[in-house]
Amino acid sequence: MTDALGSVFAALADPTRRVMVETLLRDGTTSVPALTEALPMSRQAIAKHLAVLDDAGLVERAPAGGREVRYRLSEGALEPAATWLAAADAAWDGRLARLKETVERGTSG
Amino acid sequence: MQVRREVEIDATPDEVWEALATDEGRARWLEDDAAREVHVEVVEAPFRLVWWWWRGEEPATRVEVLVAPVPDGSRVVVTESLPTFPLIALARAHAGALAHA
Repeated sequence: MTDALGSVFAALADPTRRVMVETLLRDGTTSVPALTEALPMSRQAIAKHLAVLDDAGLVERAPAGGREVRYRLSEGALEPAATWLAAADAAWDGRLARLKETVERGTSG
Repeated sequence: MQVRREVEIDATPDEVWEALATDEGRARWLEDDAAREVHVEVVEAPFRLVWWWWRGEEPATRVEVLVAPVPDGSRVVVTESLPTFPLIALARAHAGALAHA
């Protein structure tokens, strides 16, 4: 295992950092103040966890929108989510169309 | 992480259930995928069916199918969710990205 790969798994092994990643999936961006409000720990601890996620390549600084530094998931981090959603949508559209067809055919006669 | 799709069917919930809850019924619309493992979690005929399924090492997803009577028949609402995301998918994606770096 490379050091870089090891740091990704280490980053995601911590429950606080998983909550942070989930927050980013839900909200898009977050910040140290926002996370400090949501989690029972100090700004320093939050900043340290964010730095671990940053070092692992999971999060990056969002383009500045003001004085506050905001973070977002790295672009590649969302790709498996988008791929999964698109595939699941398409699969269920096909299945439900077949379900409708087979049930309605079965009850018409 | 979830998708939600729905369809209206010109049939009673009992008739829809027949196609959902029996092997013979499912074979007519759900692709035959021998590689996929399925564990049924909830069976509440004829209104609610919940199962988990997965292929090999892929993370399991939870499928909930709700059948409700409507004036013209039934409405079927399917929700498929991936509760283990982002941990596994994210780790795998980054493992792949790093392997190619």
